[in-house]
Amino acid sequence: MSGLTLIFGLFFYVSIAIFLVGFMAKVWKYGSTPAPLKIPQTPAPVSAPGVGVRYLQEVFVFKSLFRGNKVLWLGGYLFHLGLLFVLLKHLRFFIAPTSSILSTLVKFDVYSGFILVAALIFLLILRLAIDRHFYISLASDYALLLLLIGIGGTGLLSRFWENGHVRPSVPEVKNFVAGLVTFHPASVPEHKLFLIHFSLVMLLLIYFPFSKLMHAGGVFYSPTRNQIDNPREKRWVNPWAKQVTAAAAAPAAAPVAAAEEPSEG
Amino acid sequence: MSFEFEGKTYETDDDGYLLDLDSWNREVAGHIAEMEGVEMTDAHWEVVDFLRNYYQEYSIAPAIKILIKEMKKMFGPDKGNSAYLYNLYPAGPALQACKIAGLPKPTGCV
Amino acid sequence: MAEPPAEKTAVETVAESVINKNFKVPELIGEINVPRVEDGYRRKGVTSAIKPHMAKPAVQAKVGFPETLVDNWEEAAVKRLGELLEKYKSLQVYLDICVRCGSCTDKCQFFIGSNDPNNMPVARAELLRRVYKKYFTTEGKIFGKLAGAHRLDLNLLSDWYAYFHQCSQCRRCSVFCPYGIDTAEISMAAREIMDSIGIGQKYVNEILGKVHEIGNNLGMNPKALAATLESTEEDIEEEDGVPVKLPLDQEGADVLLVTPSADFFASPHIESLIGYAKVFHQAGISWTLSTAASEAGNFGMFIGSYTQLEKVAARVRNAIGELKPKRLVVGECGHAWRVAYSFWNTLIGPFDTLDPRYPAPQHIVEFTLDLVRRGAIKLDKSANDEFTVTFHDSCNVARGSRMGDRPGGQFTMPRELIKASCNKYVDMDPSTTMEKTFCCGGGGGLLTDEILEIRVAGAMPRMQALHAVMESDGVNFMALICAICKAQFTKVLPKYGIPMTVAGGVHQLVGRAIELGAKE
Repeated sequence: MSGLTLIFGLFFYVSIAIFLVGFMAKVWKYGSTPAPLKIPQTPAPVSAPGVGVRYLQEVFVFKSLFRGNKVLWLGGYLFHLGLLFVLLKHLRFFIAPTSSILSTLVKFDVYSGFILVAALIFLLILRLAIDRHFYISLASDYALLLLLIGIGGTGLLSRFWENGHVRPSVPEVKNFVAGLVTFHPASVPEHKLFLIHFSLVMLLLIYFPFSKLMHAGGVFYSPTRNQIDNPREKRWVNPWAKQVTAAAAAPAAAPVAAAEEPSEG
Repeated sequence: MSFEFEGKTYETDDDGYLLDLDSWNREVAGHIAEMEGVEMTDAHWEVVDFLRNYYQEYSIAPAIKILIKEMKKMFGPDKGNSAYLYNLYPAGPALQACKIAGLPKPTGCV
Repeated sequence: MAEPPAEKTAVETVAESVINKNFKVPELIGEINVPRVEDGYRRKGVTSAIKPHMAKPAVQAKVGFPETLVDNWEEAAVKRLGELLEKYKSLQVYLDICVRCGSCTDKCQFFIGSNDPNNMPVARAELLRRVYKKYFTTEGKIFGKLAGAHRLDLNLLSDWYAYFHQCSQCRRCSVFCPYGIDTAEISMAAREIMDSIGIGQKYVNEILGKVHEIGNNLGMNPKALAATLESTEEDIEEEDGVPVKLPLDQEGADVLLVTPSADFFASPHIESLIGYAKVFHQAGISWTLSTAASEAGNFGMFIGSYTQLEKVAARVRNAIGELKPKRLVVGECGHAWRVAYSFWNTLIGPFDTLDPRYPAPQHIVEFTLDLVRRGAIKLDKSANDEFTVTFHDSCNVARGSRMGDRPGGQFTMPRELIKASCNKYVDMDPSTTMEKTFCCGGGGGLLTDEILEIRVAGAMPRMQALHAVMESDGVNFMALICAICKAQFTKVLPKYGIPMTVAGGVHQLVGRAIELGAKE
C-alpha cells in the first residue's frame, strides 16, 4: 500500500466517521429536545398522515420556498435535483455489479452535473446581486457555495475532460472505493483531479454536521411543520413543566401543594 | 422623570404622567395641558373633573363609553360623542385627558 | 464650572432611545413596495434607536425578574440561552438550520415599513444566532465572525433590546421559510433571556404585574368592572329597549366568557362586548364573566416565559373551579386565542369538568356562528347597510390557531359570520389575507406609544391593502377579532388619514344586526 493510499484511506474513514457521528448526534439532539407547547404554523394538518403530506410537499417540491420566492426556488430546486441525480450516479462506484437502471441513468443523464453547477453559480449570483440577500450573507455562506462549486466542477471535469488525459478510469475509482467500503483498501487512483475532487467531498462531509447543511436532517424536527393541529382534541403534555398550582396563581389561597415532578426530560 | 413648575418638582413616569395623584392641582394641570398643546376650556375641565372623581371612587379611569355618556349629560347629546371628545383631546381622551387629570397612564390593549 | 458628562452605565446604554414625534408616515399608494437595502454592509439600522421604555425595578420585581441589569450579564445571558436550548426544540433547531436563503427577507411588515435591514426576519434572528454560534457551536468557535459568531457585547445587547421589540411575533416569515423557522420563537427566547438578566420591557411587564395583582391587563378592580358592566347594561337597554344582562361571577352559568379586559374599557372594543351579550341573551344561554378571569390576554407569551404564561392562565382554571360552567368561550383577542386554543389544554387542562360535547375552549365566533347556522339567532343584514365591510385576519388567529373542525376554519368562519351580518363585504388583496395576513403592527407587546413610529411603519402593508379596497369598493369598515388590532388601528388609521371609525369588531357588526325580542 502506498503512502498516498494510506493518507487518503485514513482521510476517508475519518471524514465518514465525523460525518456519521456528527450528523447522528445532531439529529439525536433535535429529536430529544422537548417541545413544551403546540406551535404548528396553521392552517396545519389535523392528523398524522396530513403532516406526512405536508412534508412530502416541502421535501419534494419545496412548497414554502416556492410561495416565498420563485426565482430562489428555481435555483434551490435545480441544485437539489441535480445533486440527487449526481449522487445516484455515484452509486456505481459503490455497487458491484452496476445495475442496469444505474447504467442507463449514467448513459443518458449527462445534464445533472451541469445543472448542479449552473444552479450553484445562479445561487451565488443571487446572493451577490439581490440587496437583501447580500446583506444577510456570511463569509461561510459564500465559502460553502464555492466548495460545492469546486466539487461539482472537478467532478464534471473528471467525467468529460478526456482529451486532457486527466480522467481517472471508472474501474480504478471503483476498485479504490470498493476497497474502502469493504475495509480492504486498494490503491488510490493517482489522478490529481480525482484526488482534489475526493478531498473536497471529504471536507464537505467533515463540515456538514457543524454547518447549516444540517437543514437536511433538521427540517424534519421543525415543530411549526411537524406538529399535528389538535391541541383541543388531544392534550399535549409538556415533559419539563411543573404544574403551577392554583395556590401559585393566587398567593393568598391555601398552602402550596407539592409540585409534581416531571415524568421525563 | 420629573418636571419643575412654579418652584416645585413633580415626579412623572417615562411618558410624563404624574406619579403622585395627590400632587395634582389645577395649575399644574394647566401646565401639563400647555405642554400637550391643549388649551383648557370649561369643557376640558369638566372632563378632567369627571375623570378625577371617577378615579377617586374606582381607582381606574372610566371606560370611554362611560365618559361619553357623562358628557352627554353635561353638554347635551350633540357634544356627547367620541368626535367631540377627540376634538377636546386630539391625542386620545384616555391617554391625553388622563395625563392632564394627573391619573396614571391606562395600560392594556387600549 | 460644568461637570463633565457622567459615563453612561450599561443599562442606560441599552435603554437609550430616541422618540421622534414628527416621523414620516408612509404615503398611501394602494400597493406594497419592498424597499431596497440601500447601502453599507452591516450599517447601523435606521430604527435601532426606537426602543420601548425599560421596566423599572419595582415592575421587574413584581414579575420575579432581576430588578436591573445584573453585573455578570453576559455570562448570565449565555447560561440562560443554554438552558433554553435544552428546553425548546424550536429554538435549538431554528438556530441551527437556517441557510440564509433569503425567502423571508421581504415578508416582514416592519422591514417593509421601516427599511431597516435588521427587521428582515433572518437578520433579526441572526442577532441571537450570532451569540448561539459564538458560545454553543464548533463552527462559531473555530471560524468566529466568518461564520457569523459574535460575543454578546453591549452594542449587540442594545440591538437585541431594539429589534426584538420590533418583532410582533406574527409568524408571517415562517410561512415562507422552507423549514418553517419561526422568528416568534426566537424573539420570545431573546426577550426571556433579557428579562432573566434584568432588562425588561415596561409595557408588558407592568401589565403582567397588574394581572397578578388585580386580575387583568387594565388593572380594573372588581368594583370598577361591575360598575362598567352595569353602565353598559343601561346603554343597551336605552338603545334597544331590551334588558340584556352582562352577568359577573354567576356560579352555575352555562358559559364562562373570558375576554380581553380592553372590552370593558376601550372603544370600539366595548361594542363587541355588547355584541356578545346580545348573542347570549337572544340565544337564551346563561353566561357569566369572571372577576378572577377578567382577562383573556396572556402577555406571558410575548416574553417567552412559560412560568408567566402558566401563571396567567391558571386564573382561568381557578374561575372554572369557582363558577362551574359547562362551556368555556373566549372573546375577540388574537394572541389570547392562540394561547387559549393551542396552550390552555397543556397549561391548565384537561377540562374534564366541562361539557365534552363542545370544544374547550371555544372561540366566540365559533359559538355565534353555530347559533346563526342553526337559526337560533336571527341577523338583519340591513342594519349594517351603511357599511361596506372588509376583514383583517389577525396574525395569531391566522397562523397560530384554528376555528371549527377543518384547517382554515379561522379564515372561513369569521367571514361567514360577517357576511351573515351585513350585505356588502369585500376581501383585501389575497397576498395580505388569511395565512399571508400582515400584522396590524401593534402585536407581540409593541402596543405602546413610545414606539409609535415603528407601529405606524409596521402597519403600512395593511394600510396599503385597506386603502386599495376603500378606493375600489368604498370599504368603510374593517372588521377585527383582536383587542390589539382594535387599539392599534384606532391609533394608526388617523395617522394615515383614515377615520378611526373604520376599525371595529366582528361582534360589533353582529350586535347591530341581531334581532332582539321574542323568538318565533
